[in-house]
Amino acid sequence: MTDISANGAAPQVRSSILVQDVKMRRRNAAETRFKSYGLIAIAISLAILALMLFTIFRDGISSFRQAQLTFPVELSAGILDPNGARNPADLAKVTTVGYGRVLDVALLKALADKGIALDDPKQATALISKAAPAQLRNIVLANPAQIGRTIEVEVLALGRVDGYFKGRVTRETAERDPQIKPVQLDLIDKMRGAGLVALHFNWNFIFGTDASEQRPEAAGLGIALIGSAYMMLLVVVLSLPIGVAASIYLEEFAPKNRWTDLIEVNISNLAEVPSIVFGILGLAIFINFAQFPMSSSLVGALVLTLMTLPTIIIATRASLRAVPPSIRDAALGVGASKMQTVFHHVLPLAMPGILTGTILGLATALGETAPLLLIGMVAFVTNYSATPLDPATALPVQVYSWASRADPAFIERSNGAIIVLLAFLVVMNVVAILLRRRFETRW
Amino acid sequence: MNDMRIVERTVDTHDVKIDAKDVNVHYGTSHALKGVSVAIPDKTVTAFIGPSGCGKSTFLRCLNRMNDTIASCRVDGLIALDGEDIYDRRVDPVQLRAKVGMVFQKPNPFPKSIYDNVSYGPKIHGLTRNKAELDEIVESCLKKAALWNEVKDRLHSPGTGLSGGQQQRLCIARAIATSPEVLLMDEPCSALDPIATAQVEELIDELRSSFSVVIVTHSMQQAARVSQRTAFFHLGNLVEYGETGQIFTSPQDPRTESYISGRIG
Ligand SMILES: Nc1ncnc2c1ncn2[C@@H]1O[C@H](COP(=O)(O)OP(=O)(O)OP(=O)(O)O)[C@@H](O)[C@H]1O
Ligand SMILES: [Mg+2]
Repeated sequence: MTDISANGAAPQVRSSILVQDVKMRRRNAAETRFKSYGLIAIAISLAILALMLFTIFRDGISSFRQAQLTFPVELSAGILDPNGARNPADLAKVTTVGYGRVLDVALLKALADKGIALDDPKQATALISKAAPAQLRNIVLANPAQIGRTIEVEVLALGRVDGYFKGRVTRETAERDPQIKPVQLDLIDKMRGAGLVALHFNWNFIFGTDASEQRPEAAGLGIALIGSAYMMLLVVVLSLPIGVAASIYLEEFAPKNRWTDLIEVNISNLAEVPSIVFGILGLAIFINFAQFPMSSSLVGALVLTLMTLPTIIIATRASLRAVPPSIRDAALGVGASKMQTVFHHVLPLAMPGILTGTILGLATALGETAPLLLIGMVAFVTNYSATPLDPATALPVQVYSWASRADPAFIERSNGAIIVLLAFLVVMNVVAILLRRRFETRW
Repeated sequence: MNDMRIVERTVDTHDVKIDAKDVNVHYGTSHALKGVSVAIPDKTVTAFIGPSGCGKSTFLRCLNRMNDTIASCRVDGLIALDGEDIYDRRVDPVQLRAKVGMVFQKPNPFPKSIYDNVSYGPKIHGLTRNKAELDEIVESCLKKAALWNEVKDRLHSPGTGLSGGQQQRLCIARAIATSPEVLLMDEPCSALDPIATAQVEELIDELRSSFSVVIVTHSMQQAARVSQRTAFFHLGNLVEYGETGQIFTSPQDPRTESYISGRIG
């Protein structure tokens, strides 16, 4: 290509646009390379995401189905209502011990009817969960007219039965297991054949309360769900208005001087403070000083609000700054006040960015565990919390506390709880996306 | 330059609407306007001409205190509207801007519907009592800005979806909707085709009967066509200010002459 003529002047070479020259080819190659790096990066992250979801679902999805015993139970009036008056106050006095006996008798009768022989009746009755009498009691108290009749009930089976169905319990482990013997596993096989026990969808896992170490089959996420829902609600209600108001003031009204610079630096620093520090702060301020109730979702929400605020403020300021100054000029030019300019024109344009920041902050808050442990939200709570002042737990804390229990049945539930946590997150994101879309189309 | 025709109009001597005395503007350390004194008469079109970067927009923005929004900008000197100092401490710039409207150099419609763009000013100033009156203002302003025929079927589609020239006319409609006493126009026709330009010039001429109009323009023909008085700025100085006819036919300053004849620019 370099045929420079003797006198030094480059001759006019007419190049064809149908042929790529060397430089163009090099530029195109660089572009192709860059595109493939991008594709590889996306493929890797998608693969990791898929792997993560796959393992979570593989290990956790089974917790939504639980081994349940189904058999007819004669609600003997002699035990459940000795007076025969069907008086709710009297009925409530009968303890779960009484219901346990009713269940034992009914199961043995069902086995006899199906022709399943037993060496020892204990072998069969031990397969009923310790949580089952309470279940039956709730059924009866909900409708006392059933007393005296025989009804078909579905109650929880012992956690080991569930484990046997899901492959956690085998004949080898049963040899060393104080809770179940290999001979009982044979019995379970026979009962399964007779339709007395099977895996069913387990609403109790999602909405029930937590249970003690001995009854993994009865443990549910209800209180953690309530706690997390209260906290997310309170965090949005507190941090969004405070954060947006603070950002609007700092961005649109505050003079730019050393003090506002200092505040800006401090807010950025706050966003980087480890979450456990916020937990210690919450313990000192909200519980020890302000005397708010320990373990309550209110305190959890306050701590998470402190954590979320910097994120929301930073995102809001960035999106306010991204609104073109010409829009502000236009509004001021027709005689709008600063406040009208901000609320009529700037804020609506910044809203999608603000929502994105908020959902990022909320997602972090939803998954936050450490500060909640410090303020006592890891406590064992068995009553549904009616208000944010009552003790509660949170989904990530429940994951943590189940994962640290000895019985492997809790590990499965811990994975199931992660699925619920992810579903919670997806719901929150969908709400945010819908809101954002509304603002975007309204311009 | 051959189509430059200076319209022979009787230039009535009106009261002074805006009186600027010895205005200096600094952006940080750079001195953008140096001792500018101009008396802008009422019910007149005043044109500001001058090469790019000479401070025309800066001066225009002083007249409705839009420079307040620029942190580094410092304005000294006296600017009076109807004899009242607009930089007085008691003056609320928001109230001032309702009286002194502005059309910016770059079209900047709100990202809202065409209707909302025009109705915004009257709405916030409470100029109308009901929807019908508002509709009327929107229609008449869009008609004055020569945009009505193009948008009357899509008043509720976004103003940002219009072409550049249409957007500028929308901004003009928005500015006149608040019926200001002074209208500042920063190169309102730079994005317009000759037909729309002629329409806007007609509008400017019409507006002259009710307010005073200050227009920045790079087109000398336009200055000659629409204005009665012309100010020539150069490097932050007001070089010459006088009747348009006199500026274009017998400029006093050699810089004015060379700019008009195309030697500076
Ligand atoms: N916001 C600002 N900050 C700092 N300097 C500015 C600012 N706006 C304008 N200037 C400076 O002030 C001087 C005058 O600018 P101005 O915008 O008034 O020019 P102009 O006459 O309107 O030019 P044009 O015809 O190109 O619009 C220029 O030197 C410019 O660089
Ligand atoms: Mg300009």
